[in-house]
Amino acid sequence: MSLTKEELQSIANLARIGLSEEEADRLRHELDGILGYVDRLQLIDTTGIPEASSIPVQADEFRVDEVNDCGDAARALIIDNFPASQSNMLKAPAVFEKPKS
Amino acid sequence: MESLNTLTIAQARAELDAGRITSRQITEACLAEIASRDPALHAFLEVWNDEALAEADRADERLQNGSSLGVLDGIPLAIKDNILIEGRHCSAASKILEPYIAVYDATVIQKLKAQGAVLLGRTNMDEFAMGGSTENSAYGPTRNPFDPDRVPGGSSGGSAAAVAANLCLGALGSDTGGSIRQPASFCGDIGLKPTYGRVSRFGLMAMASSFDQIGPITKTAEDAGLILSALAGKDENDQTSADASAFLPAWKTNLKGLRIGLPRQAWGEGIQEDVRAAVELAIDALRTLGAEIIDVDLPYADEALAVYYVVMPCEVSANLSRFDGMRYGVREPENNLLDTYFQTRGLRIGREVRRRILLGTYALSAGYYDAYYKKAKQVQTLIKNAYASALEHVDVLLTPTAPSVAFSIGEKINDPLAMYLEDLFTVGANVAGLPALSFPARHDGTLPIGVHLTGRPFDEATLLAIARCYEESR
Repeated sequence: MSLTKEELQSIANLARIGLSEEEADRLRHELDGILGYVDRLQLIDTTGIPEASSIPVQADEFRVDEVNDCGDAARALIIDNFPASQSNMLKAPAVFEKPKS
Repeated sequence: MESLNTLTIAQARAELDAGRITSRQITEACLAEIASRDPALHAFLEVWNDEALAEADRADERLQNGSSLGVLDGIPLAIKDNILIEGRHCSAASKILEPYIAVYDATVIQKLKAQGAVLLGRTNMDEFAMGGSTENSAYGPTRNPFDPDRVPGGSSGGSAAAVAANLCLGALGSDTGGSIRQPASFCGDIGLKPTYGRVSRFGLMAMASSFDQIGPITKTAEDAGLILSALAGKDENDQTSADASAFLPAWKTNLKGLRIGLPRQAWGEGIQEDVRAAVELAIDALRTLGAEIIDVDLPYADEALAVYYVVMPCEVSANLSRFDGMRYGVREPENNLLDTYFQTRGLRIGREVRRRILLGTYALSAGYYDAYYKKAKQVQTLIKNAYASALEHVDVLLTPTAPSVAFSIGEKINDPLAMYLEDLFTVGANVAGLPALSFPARHDGTLPIGVHLTGRPFDEATLLAIARCYEESR
């Protein structure tokens, strides 16, 4: 299976990763190599085989879903980690932009 | 006595308990060795000199008062940079997390602190634990203590090099496809990946959540057992941590009655002659110790790498979507939200990590899910079943840990598939969720070669017992 330029650009958009032309060309080549390797799985007959579960059998319980207070020290660290803030509030770019008239 | 930084954890414990040395002396010896050797090795991204010494003094006080907290009280350890320690920088060796300060302690850190361990610093790694050489660190590679022109392996290369160079008494690593065991092999350490679910992943930065495990890298098998005893256990903050019976070491004086299986499928081409010869010598030694060596069939074992390189990137693409420069880490501000994402993730996430995110996004995208993810999860079932039936006939499976000795810096960095093949022998244990360990075949000053053991679920004790028996017969 070979990845087209458009496919790669569309995946990069979905993954929110900006790519230069040059990197896109190199990546297509590299991803083709890896996809070529994993294609060997297509030769295995998996008719009727269930998908593997990721949970160990000994771990099937849920804890109570409740809100915990993280405490002031943790709160201060969380706020310090904000890339941009205003009065202890997280500042982020607008999701919807004003139409430019 | 040799320098205190060369002690094993068990030796240091005995000396501390006898009052012959102090934690401050061991910690100072480690810090002095770091100051002298780490500028060349670059095993550490950050060293906490003052805090480590203060913790050592508190440990010494406890020892004097007879209120010691446990086996690790006063023992200096190093921590891989993807495990959160409250109030400390934690970057997973990525530029996107350069300013990030951890908000809470990982469960394993809570447990080490509760035992009084002295945390020396955070160790270098491949960015977000993706790589087999530590060359993917955004802060520069770590060098192999046996040969500075070679890699220490990865992704826990900083931890493995720090243990091998006696910069610490032991270290924590994390292992998703071999990231504890392959660097242990390249550096001549013991590296143990516990059974999936044995150790809580709470506070470990997720790479591929269904494979990730935290484990010890140490100088001896006994030490690995001491650290695993401290880390193991059910944690309500990690739903995949298992309610298994407690880990208890079960040391043996010989290997009589043990059956060691050599999976036919694993011993094909592509193994360096040196590696093959060293591992065969180790097998002879294990036979001499009383083990029965049996050829076994392990169907689908050679498909584990392909399964891994589908499932892992899928989980990576989901897990790493949180690194977008919005709530923490670095943001590259642009005119609008979309461009801010593109710039932040394009500039601040390294090449290998971007490659895996894109691979996973592709495999999970509409039209490809069945062909890649679903197919890989079905083959994973076949692999799990194959391991389970092989381990009905033998106690452990043995292979080399890596197909080669430590390779040169730069040798494989531009060939992702060649780098991925490094995981050939280690990845099966992650895909099957089983415990696995690498121990050094030889200690003769030449480049180390690891022997790899895979065991039954929650039977780390047998892996450690075999490794210790072998160590003590040398």
